[in-house]
Amino acid sequence: MFQISNQVIANVLYWIRQKRWLLLTIIVGIVLYLLPAPSGMSDLSRPDDAYHTLIIVIMTLVLIITEPVPLPAVAMMILILQVVFGIAEPNEVASSFMSDAVFFIMGSLMLAVSIVKQGLDSRLALGIIRLTGNKTWRIAAGFTTICALLSSFIGEHTVTAMMMPVGLILVRSTSSDPKKVAVLASLLLFSIAYGSAMGSIGTPSGGGRNVIMMGYWTEFGHGTVSYLQWMKHAYPMLLFQIPLAVIILLMTFRPKQRVLDTAVRKLKVQVTKGGKMQGKEYLVIAVFMGVFLGWVFLGHTIGLGIIALIGVFVYLAFGLVDWSDLNRNTNWGVILLFGAAISIGIQINYTGLAQWIAGGAMDALQFVAGDSPLLQITVAILLSAILTNFLSNAAAVAVIGPIVLNMGGDPIIMGFAAALASAFAYLTVVASPTCMIIHSSGLVKRGDFLKAGGKLFIMSVIVLLLVSQLLWPLF
Amino acid sequence: MKFLLAVGSKEYSEPTLNIGSRIAKAFDADLSVVYVGSKPKEMFAGRVNLALDSMVKWEIYHPGIDVLRWAFDYLNSSGYLESEQVNGFNPENIVQENDRIRMVLQGSYGRKVDLILREGEIIDELRREAQKEDYTLTIIGGSQKRSMAHDLIQYIPTSIFVVKSFDTRRDYRLLLLVDDSKATKRAVRFGATIAANQGMEVDTLTVSKSENFGPGYSRAAKAAGRFLKSKGIPHKQHFLTGDPVDTFVEFANETHLMVMGASSKSPLRKFFLGSKPIKTLEKAAFPILIVK
Repeated sequence: MFQISNQVIANVLYWIRQKRWLLLTIIVGIVLYLLPAPSGMSDLSRPDDAYHTLIIVIMTLVLIITEPVPLPAVAMMILILQVVFGIAEPNEVASSFMSDAVFFIMGSLMLAVSIVKQGLDSRLALGIIRLTGNKTWRIAAGFTTICALLSSFIGEHTVTAMMMPVGLILVRSTSSDPKKVAVLASLLLFSIAYGSAMGSIGTPSGGGRNVIMMGYWTEFGHGTVSYLQWMKHAYPMLLFQIPLAVIILLMTFRPKQRVLDTAVRKLKVQVTKGGKMQGKEYLVIAVFMGVFLGWVFLGHTIGLGIIALIGVFVYLAFGLVDWSDLNRNTNWGVILLFGAAISIGIQINYTGLAQWIAGGAMDALQFVAGDSPLLQITVAILLSAILTNFLSNAAAVAVIGPIVLNMGGDPIIMGFAAALASAFAYLTVVASPTCMIIHSSGLVKRGDFLKAGGKLFIMSVIVLLLVSQLLWPLF
Repeated sequence: MKFLLAVGSKEYSEPTLNIGSRIAKAFDADLSVVYVGSKPKEMFAGRVNLALDSMVKWEIYHPGIDVLRWAFDYLNSSGYLESEQVNGFNPENIVQENDRIRMVLQGSYGRKVDLILREGEIIDELRREAQKEDYTLTIIGGSQKRSMAHDLIQYIPTSIFVVKSFDTRRDYRLLLLVDDSKATKRAVRFGATIAANQGMEVDTLTVSKSENFGPGYSRAAKAAGRFLKSKGIPHKQHFLTGDPVDTFVEFANETHLMVMGASSKSPLRKFFLGSKPIKTLEKAAFPILIVK
């Protein structure tokens, strides 16, 4: 008689343990599919499609957060289910999968590799130290400010990747005992991470989700927003946040070391070993300046993504970066996932699901503040800011973008509110790449993210609300 | 024979490394020291790795590399490596092998030592490592996580030594649990080797639920006694009645290192009902070695 060995049973149990979230997701998906669509959806033009899109969104969110399968598999699931559920034709899915926003995400990830690989971090370090001197609070303020300003143009993780070693050198040169420098490490590393995260709202090129929102505005017929128009809305918010963030970080982490004399000296010695800037480094900066000017002046005609790809092409053509480096450090799975997320985002809008969720949320909250624009924008900000801490900022905007654009009020203002709030990923280690990068140093504790990030989160929400109510109406 | 030893940090892993390397020495076993760090979320992995890569030129390495360097120095100074050479560890000498990073050590040492860095969930990574090479024993520090006992015993295909509350300055006695299970014989041999090498005295404990000890239990206890005597290991035999798990835990004190055989129950029964080793490991506040 057929008998299953203990080894096989143990392997099956282990597989179930590993894939429990996948199994749960599939079961939930099947159960939801067998249930009728909620009655409120019957008013929509495509109620079944809206309901099936909702099922895909729920399954996607669970799989992205719990990661029981590789991200490319989640991307494929999104595309497959759109066709299998009859939401869209295969060609329609394929065309919604690739857009300028996806080109931008791909291009900006590769630009980041090209810039980080040049070793410009040491130049940057020297520049910052010259500006700040050796007082700890000034270094922290300098880190926050410079990281915020830089990341607004080249993206948060690029800046964090360049600045992390500088922060770590200062910490390690102060003392080799991690306990003695724990608070100092937290102050400097959070200055880098949160400065970079805050800065990424400043321009469209600061983060892929900014471009995703710009794509939604165009796709859904709300008009186009240029690079400079984005800056006009977002940069004041960034400039208000910087001093407040510096104060919060200095109040939260108070290191005993008030002056980093020895550490700064050691850093200077290490940096000057690298010699003077080479022609190659000038060329890297010149190409990026060209890309930046392209984004500003040509972005609305040929697309931000295409311009980013031109930059990557030039880096490759001039031999400034090796393809092997780009290939190794570019996460193709993430690019596939964002393509698929934007694709389902488009269906969230066209099937009427966005309208249904937005209407439901606003109806539920109407008893609190009536039908006020302040309520609409607050909901948009909180929805985006909370979701970004569990998902990723680009995925959060891809999923909730169509919903907030249907909440009522000016879709451009609502879109800005959601996109900018998606940068408030301060609360957990897994909230953003910048948080994960500083946590990978082993010098910051998980609890510190909530301790400092919680204050920063509240401050950022308040500043965004004030900016949206007091400043944006003037434009 | 090859043992796998998991370290987490310099702060907490010294007792594990201390007793782990002593036991490996007792068996003249090769040792793989593995550091399992948290894995970046897949969504951000590329960007986190880019940052980690950028740090290497500043001679800043993965925190796990520092822990492995500390483990290597510890093994060298404790005499496990039987070598005067102290410069064998170079953080630049790393080899990426599919899902793990291995340090290449220069020079030769009395016993083979591998230093391995992995990223991911601890049980998954130990299981992958244990499946990659033919390990006999996995040594790991205690954990606050309740499901850890079950997961280690159920999913790691080697014997398990959980170093809970081990004090490196204390003299330990070996507590050998003896019953009629198949694994008891292996546990006795394993325990005797450790006791003989470490100069430990042995308590054997046989627990029956009723006053009437079955013939299997008596035979096993006698065989264990004979074996220990033949090896010249001083020992005392104890027979108690009561709930086995509670009695094991009550009998053992802070100077005991417990050795017991693994359960022969099917994995499905263990999953739903647990087993003596799983329950003992959950309740124990002392080092415990479960021999499969």
